[in-house]
Amino acid sequence: MGANLSRVYEGDDGRPPAGYPGLADIPENCIAGIFRHLSPLDICKLARLNRAFKGAASSDLVWAEKLPVCYQDMLSKLPLSKGQFLPKKEIYALLCKPISLDNGTKEVWLDKATGGVCLAISARAMAITGIDDHRYWRWIPCEESRFHEIAYLQQLWWFEVDGVVKFQLPAGEYSLSFRLRLGTSARRLGRRVQVFNQVHGWDLKPVQFCLSTSDGQHATRGYYLDQAGEDGPVGDARGKWTDYHVGNFVVENENKLTEVKFSMTQIDCTHSKGGLSLDSVSIVPSKLQKETENKHAGCYS
Amino acid sequence: MAELPNTTMANECKVKLKSKDDKIFEVEYAVAMQSQTLKNALAHTGCTDTALPLHDISSQILAKVIEYCEYHVNAANTISEKDVKTWDEELVKHMDQDTLFRLIVAAKYLEIHNLVDLMCKTIADRIKDKSVEELREIFHVQNDFTPEEEEQVRRETKWAHGE
Repeated sequence: MGANLSRVYEGDDGRPPAGYPGLADIPENCIAGIFRHLSPLDICKLARLNRAFKGAASSDLVWAEKLPVCYQDMLSKLPLSKGQFLPKKEIYALLCKPISLDNGTKEVWLDKATGGVCLAISARAMAITGIDDHRYWRWIPCEESRFHEIAYLQQLWWFEVDGVVKFQLPAGEYSLSFRLRLGTSARRLGRRVQVFNQVHGWDLKPVQFCLSTSDGQHATRGYYLDQAGEDGPVGDARGKWTDYHVGNFVVENENKLTEVKFSMTQIDCTHSKGGLSLDSVSIVPSKLQKETENKHAGCYS
Repeated sequence: MAELPNTTMANECKVKLKSKDDKIFEVEYAVAMQSQTLKNALAHTGCTDTALPLHDISSQILAKVIEYCEYHVNAANTISEKDVKTWDEELVKHMDQDTLFRLIVAAKYLEIHNLVDLMCKTIADRIKDKSVEELREIFHVQNDFTPEEEEQVRRETKWAHGE
């Protein structure tokens, strides 16, 4: 029947109760079958049950199935080819921490619960119209950003942000979102407060968000980042970082690089706009994507 | 090696199975063929009146295995995948751990691949969202770590449980 995990349950006379099977009696290749249906987090939990389970839950066979197809590629981006010869379980744990790409302007990591590959592209990696002109844009250090800085727009008329990322993503469906905030923070009387005095123009016309892939997929969405309310403007992104979901795309061929272009534009020059903080763009497996609170409000496409 | 029954015979051939507690079960040939182990055994004996002994499988478990195989033989090509899935879920919904484990062992011995998969998934579903203590309770496993070993495992899995 195949090798079993050694039984450890002891009855009163030191023998297991007659005919009583425990998880320990299940053939080893069934254990592998069970593990296939468990998340990495649950497998780690099983490792804490007893010695036999720790052995089974640490096997390379089990963890090899949890690693994405691109894991070698991800490992190669680590300094000093760290991790090439580690057990698969440790490779998985290593890849759950963000790995820096393209001179620190992008990051890639595995979602620990699902093993899904996630990407973040910083504002630094993007082509932002007018970024070099201090009348329009400033770079501000920001601890709330995984890149520790954000691009802050004071005011301009032609608002355009473009970016591109190339990575060998595993097959599946992915969501792309822009991470934005209206307003900025400042220190007043020793406390950090949100400042909205430069926020304007976002309630007049929607911002166009787009994504496209090298194999011809497209998505477009328009959002009003701010809305006129009875007692003044109300925008979901006022004072808090908000993920604006642009759309989804599907990767079918995981043996080649997926190239995704994305953009955010508001180029109606009849009005100026400002007071916007731009952090980054994120690409995550679509089942991980949290819907923004303002999914329906202020959105049209 | 005896000849396999031809189609007519296969339709009429009944396979006898004897459980650990000496109960005899009679099943259609097509039902028995769901098991790779029985298929191999019958390739040697042909259609026979002698019951095939299943020394490690109780009548209670064998009855469940037969119930599964009979449904799936009849369901093939006639019932939608979705409905089959629902039936499978109903079958296992209220099964206690004891039955689940005995059933997976039996299914593996008999090499009924769909049933093994169903059992793996069901057991996995029962494992999700349980604490380590709850899992030890449910599966009757003793903690045999030394305090140092336990601490080491906790450290090694810290990235997963974030403690």
